[in-house]
Amino acid sequence: MRRGAICVLLSRAAAAMHLAQLTLTNFRNYTRLDLALPKGPTLLFGANAQGKTTLLEAIYYLATTKSPHARADRQLLNWYANGSEDPVAVGRLTAQVRLAGETGQRHLEIRLIRDQTGRAGSEFRRQVLVNGVKVRLVDLLGNLNVVLFLPQDVGLVSAPPAERRRYLDITLCQVDTRYCRTLSQYNKVLAQRNALLRSLQEGRARPAELSPWDEKLAELGASLVLRRAALIADLEQRAGRIHFDDLTGGTESLRLAYRPRLWPNADQAPSSLPPAATADTVGWLLEQPENQLAASLRRALDGSRQVETQRGATLIGPHRDDLRLLVNGRDLADYGSRGQQRTALLALKLAEVAWMEGQTGERPVLLLDEVLAELDQTRRAYLLSSVVAAEQAILTASDPTMFTGEFLAQATRMEVKGGQIRPRNGPVQRGTRDEEEV
Amino acid sequence: MPFHAAPQPVTRLIEELSRLPGIGPKTASRLTYHLLRAADEQALGLADALRQLRERTQFCRVCFNITEGQPCAVCSDPGREQALICVVESPLDVLAVEKTRAYSGQYHVLHGAISPIEGVGPDDLKIDRLLDRVRSGGVQEVILATNPTLEGEATAMYLQKQLAGFPVLVSRLARGLPVGGDLEYADEVTLARALEGRSQM
Repeated sequence: MRRGAICVLLSRAAAAMHLAQLTLTNFRNYTRLDLALPKGPTLLFGANAQGKTTLLEAIYYLATTKSPHARADRQLLNWYANGSEDPVAVGRLTAQVRLAGETGQRHLEIRLIRDQTGRAGSEFRRQVLVNGVKVRLVDLLGNLNVVLFLPQDVGLVSAPPAERRRYLDITLCQVDTRYCRTLSQYNKVLAQRNALLRSLQEGRARPAELSPWDEKLAELGASLVLRRAALIADLEQRAGRIHFDDLTGGTESLRLAYRPRLWPNADQAPSSLPPAATADTVGWLLEQPENQLAASLRRALDGSRQVETQRGATLIGPHRDDLRLLVNGRDLADYGSRGQQRTALLALKLAEVAWMEGQTGERPVLLLDEVLAELDQTRRAYLLSSVVAAEQAILTASDPTMFTGEFLAQATRMEVKGGQIRPRNGPVQRGTRDEEEV
Repeated sequence: MPFHAAPQPVTRLIEELSRLPGIGPKTASRLTYHLLRAADEQALGLADALRQLRERTQFCRVCFNITEGQPCAVCSDPGREQALICVVESPLDVLAVEKTRAYSGQYHVLHGAISPIEGVGPDDLKIDRLLDRVRSGGVQEVILATNPTLEGEATAMYLQKQLAGFPVLVSRLARGLPVGGDLEYADEVTLARALEGRSQM
């Protein structure tokens, strides 16, 4: 959001981006994989437990440095490599990202290292390289933009708030490294402040010691809240349109209600805020200058100091935010059918695709894991039209027959079996797409 | 197979050395065997240097820097400005500032930074003694030169609050670009800070 004009121009010029080559070494069930991926849609099919999802997970990991399942990183290492007697086990993921124009290429690499030679016993670490140069984890972000669709995404609607915060954070971090840094600083301040609150609780510290942490927490917190609000405003607009016009035939309207924890509880919200906080919290927030929001967060922290000391934890701030999804004014988590939740999530994900393109000037690579099986004909057709329009999309399915013949004709098909991938039927009739590029 | 360990004095030194920061077991062994072969004056000279380091150094009772005599060389130098105190986290920071030859005031070493996670609060640092120095008068400016880390920043902010009641100017080291560096290689945070702290030419 605060990128300089030059950055924007550069990324605009590089609007076409795709993952051309993926290699995996000792990544989960793949001991070795070297896979060339074309532009346009690629369909990976095969029986269950053959490694289809793992392939999407690997691509997602290269883009975000996170696993979609929040599982421990060391589990990503191949089981045999992890269990081997070797003192050092290394897993490696590399991606060749090709940009528009013949010269544009990025080489991304993540190394997963389990090292037993150190004094601390078994130690796990990661190394990240961009174009062969070791960089920090955060520097990998933004080199490959992806949006992942998982069948379990629908659970996000009714999951605990932490899951939705994680969704907002991962989405923002991919395109905004400043957000990512602010978030990591915020978490450090939060840990320090909570430690101090526990000391206060036990009478081992003085209240005056809180002030530097309060100040930092408020400053960083306000910045996070405003960026989340901007993201939610944008997603709501796009998702609302897709949901109303294209997915529900003009019958249902989707709203995203941001519930920032900027004050101790709802009745202590600023009076200038619209009464039903669901209505337009985001609009209100976006009118607040960042330093004023920080000041009000600071005052809220002052006001709840006593409770926080009793509880030994920070109760106010973006680490307690929530995001609710409403359809026709009703909270989907409480009142939505499974089908409504699925439709809302689909709209949200497609909005994310458009948002990401707007932010970076690059079309993200779509990764879709078995999502078609859950959708009815109309929504399936709508999703597939987005997939075909993407620069590159990688889909998995155990049953390729659920795709239309028209779609299959455009897709590159590959079969996944026991950690091996073989092209089937090769690329068919893709000439027209490539000519469009010129 | 019978296993012969090195004699006890050898293994003891290896163990002691490998406790030092930046020294692993390999390096510790190499250093130990080097000392075994070295001339008496080198090896015993090292032992003597270690002993003297412990016996002949102490904290300066004014600024808490490491010193041989009381007060330290800086505090007892009449040629240095008395009205200026530079607050740093560690004695190494004093050396760093001294190397600039651009500062001729006093120092105050805190011996750490506030970090509740590690159980370090203001009372564990030499903050009260700093306030005493300011209270006793003659100080016009306190320069907060703690590290630009989260803990260093928090310490500076805490000190600023504590010093607010005194008639002294409280300043903070500027943050910005390293001299001789390339703008394009500066990380965004540093560059943003440098922009915020730009000065008129």
